[in-house]
Amino acid sequence: MFYREAGQFKTSYKADQALMPILQDRVGLTVILLIAFVAIPAFANDFFLTSIMIPFLVFSLAAIGLNVLTGFCGQLSLGTGAFMGVGAYAAYKLTTIFPDANVIVMVLLSGIFSAAIGAVFGLPSLRIKGLYLAVTTLAAQFFLEWCFIRIPWLYNYNASGAIEVPHREAFGVVVSGAEATPIVRYFIVLCITVAIAYLMANVLRGRIGRSWMMIRDMDIAAELMGIRPLQTKLMAFAVSSYICGVAGAMMVFFWLNAAEPSSYSISLSFQILFMVILGGLGSLGGAFMGAAFIWILPVFLKFIPGTLGIDVAAETVEHVTFMIVGALIIFFLIVEPHGFARLWQIGKQKLRVWPFPY
Amino acid sequence: MLYDIFIDPFVQMYDMPDFFLQVLWEGFVAGILYALIALGFVLIFKASGVFNFAQGIMVVFAGLTLVGLNENGIPAYLALALTIVAMGVLAYGVERVVMRPLVNQPDIILLMATIGLTYFLIGFGEFVFGGEPKQMITEQLGLPTGSTAIEMGERGLIILQHIDIAAAVIAVIMVTALGIFFNKTRIGRALRAVADDHQAALSVGISLNQIWAIVWFAAGLVALATGIMWGARSDVSFALEIVAFKALPVLILGGFTSIPGAIVGGLIIGFGEKIGELYWGGLVGGGIESWLAYIIALIFLLFRPQGLFGERIIERI
Amino acid sequence: MNAFVTDKTLAPAGELEPAEREELLRVDNVSLSFGGVKAITDISFDILKGEIRAIIGPNGAGKTSMLNVINGFYHPQEGTITWRGKVRRKMKPYEAASQGIARTFQNVALFKGMTTLDNIMSGRSLKMHRNFFWQVLWRGPAENEEIEHRRKVEDIIDFLEIQAIRKTPVGRLPYGLQKRVELGRALAMEPELLLLDEPMAGMNLEEKEDMSRFIVDVNQEFGTTIALIEHDMGVVMDLSDRVVVLDYGKKIADGPPEEVQASQAVIDAYLGVSH
Repeated sequence: MFYREAGQFKTSYKADQALMPILQDRVGLTVILLIAFVAIPAFANDFFLTSIMIPFLVFSLAAIGLNVLTGFCGQLSLGTGAFMGVGAYAAYKLTTIFPDANVIVMVLLSGIFSAAIGAVFGLPSLRIKGLYLAVTTLAAQFFLEWCFIRIPWLYNYNASGAIEVPHREAFGVVVSGAEATPIVRYFIVLCITVAIAYLMANVLRGRIGRSWMMIRDMDIAAELMGIRPLQTKLMAFAVSSYICGVAGAMMVFFWLNAAEPSSYSISLSFQILFMVILGGLGSLGGAFMGAAFIWILPVFLKFIPGTLGIDVAAETVEHVTFMIVGALIIFFLIVEPHGFARLWQIGKQKLRVWPFPY
Repeated sequence: MLYDIFIDPFVQMYDMPDFFLQVLWEGFVAGILYALIALGFVLIFKASGVFNFAQGIMVVFAGLTLVGLNENGIPAYLALALTIVAMGVLAYGVERVVMRPLVNQPDIILLMATIGLTYFLIGFGEFVFGGEPKQMITEQLGLPTGSTAIEMGERGLIILQHIDIAAAVIAVIMVTALGIFFNKTRIGRALRAVADDHQAALSVGISLNQIWAIVWFAAGLVALATGIMWGARSDVSFALEIVAFKALPVLILGGFTSIPGAIVGGLIIGFGEKIGELYWGGLVGGGIESWLAYIIALIFLLFRPQGLFGERIIERI
Repeated sequence: MNAFVTDKTLAPAGELEPAEREELLRVDNVSLSFGGVKAITDISFDILKGEIRAIIGPNGAGKTSMLNVINGFYHPQEGTITWRGKVRRKMKPYEAASQGIARTFQNVALFKGMTTLDNIMSGRSLKMHRNFFWQVLWRGPAENEEIEHRRKVEDIIDFLEIQAIRKTPVGRLPYGLQKRVELGRALAMEPELLLLDEPMAGMNLEEKEDMSRFIVDVNQEFGTTIALIEHDMGVVMDLSDRVVVLDYGKKIADGPPEEVQASQAVIDAYLGVSH
């Protein structure tokens, strides 16, 4: 009733294979983009931008990156955190070496380094499959984390062992460092995330996206149809790591201002993996939904006791948050193992046939 | 440089045999503990095809419960009994709340559910017992403490911690008992049937729910034993969780379903890690223990993708 | 051999006499074993251009293994395979695919997470070349390429009469339709040699009739050479030009259907014989 494509006829293949063939979807997306680009900057306060929107977008991008690898190409990865770290450290080194260059360009370039490293760790995927592959990515995770600690060159021999984002300007505005305003950071993060999401949507609907899904669904059949498994998987590893790397660089440059090796630990990998699974494997929209759930929920939980006027120790809140998040993960897996993306589809179907049950 | 990598470590091993033996012993003990964690994984994987990520946290949880109860004035043995009861309750709860609704879901979903369980247990454990590390009640439980030094003639001496010896003995007993349980009993056969195919097992009248509860309970007991042993060597704390990841390369070496595989895999990783760290780690600045296990497993995998004890995979279509 | 640009100037290969046809594929003395188990022992036969060649035999006779050898999934320990006059060495499955060997599977091996349309489009993978950077941009070359191939795929969808399920995820389709989609996917590769592994297993009579019709049409209209494994003897005898019979990994008969039907070795293999 509310969501009906009746009467929307496609007269060309071009129209039929558009990203959003249905009018209602296009309207919906436009509204979301308007909110993101106009309404939020106009009305949101700094806290909302820095603590909710910027991390949400960064994590969404990382979740898209992991989704390319795990959701679309079917290769389980537990090394996302480290690949994000590679992006962060690469961006940091690049801005040190080229202090005058535009920092946004450096952030985008830093992904190339993590793509290269991701591809190297993707090499064993030709012989190793499934859960066994998890050990490869765990090796990447722990090895890279070790590198972040043990190679002082990476953090410019700082005594603290952490990387601190330098003050940089681009287009006459301060974009990074402590003085950068939340609104500027927000716009940069938003633009990069939206742009990469759009470009990935293009890749995923074409030949390359299909070849990834072929490998995911039935690798043997894919090979018998002319897909080169190694090339295809390596490409997925590289693209995924590129996106994760950019997300990692954004994380330190536009959100945290400083990062330690432990910022990119295995728990970050798991966090991103949760976002992907709960959002829905193999769905770009799901990556955003998953990121929203995993990031925003704990933030809200932290404020519940305060608003209810109950005095609870911060530690206790954190412990309870852990419990609630864990329980909710199990709950959602039971309710809908295919994630929010599937729930959303079911919802759309319901809207289509309303007021009839089916 | 080449000398440092290829020759010097072996010269050192020859020159200081006492140190080398001590390293081997350390590796052996670490290996036994890895193997114990891996054993818990194998149990659950064998019986449900679930890769139970929460096994590591169950170890911590069991240890914490035991110590926590004791701190509240409950005598050690009673606390032990109560902890066993707690693991039983946990097993039943997991079966009821997590496994039963998720039957027949893809592996990755079940894996995720156990990671969710991990989060829950971390939160719950810290909530109830606090997050700070605790001392294991080794003496109260009647476990041996102290150490023996074995002299090697004129070439130095090796120190063996009694608790480590006890750990090795307990590990051997547990593995034997589990082996008998799996291969000789009716429930053992049912377990293996469930592992092969849930639906087929159901169709011949095996109760999945009962089997799962049993197997999670068994894994809980293994976790408790591991928790005690591990806690006695260091502290009982959530830092153990990161060590539990090492069970993954162990499992991969040994195969997900093989109990002897878990032991051998654990020992290989234990030895490899200690020897690598102490003889080669210095060349790159140390601390390579954190990732060496994975690299060892990776190298093995590249040559034998099915693991050490797995059967050769013939792909069929 | 572009099936859907329909090269009608050539006489349909099916009408030529066997002797006039050129040889497309030869298998010489091929043996394959897994560990100690011999799957195929010393088998030789040929497949001529434009024919429908059936491979039959009781269960476990090594038929599927034979197909796996032909498209490079298994590598035989002994023997050679000659493809279009050239002896080929160890060939990877994707190389076989790029040289025009397509395949359907005994247990449907569709890409379960994708729609019918995407599954058949996936058969075009080898013919699409726009690289990553064009794909990222989409507008322009990548989109045009996609549309061009979509046309061909729509022709196949029309041919197989599966228009209605175009956008349905294949996991939800009934078995018979899945088999049909799988045939479509193989056809999208515009193969020279099409290997069909039990295309009619588990189908009812009507579905079998439909499938037989598609197979004959593919062979006669597009001149595609077909090698098929099938258990339904009626279908095999009606469709095929020549039949090779395997039993316990050995070849026991080879020839036109009538001849094979009359062979004592074949009767023994199927009915059993007291030794």
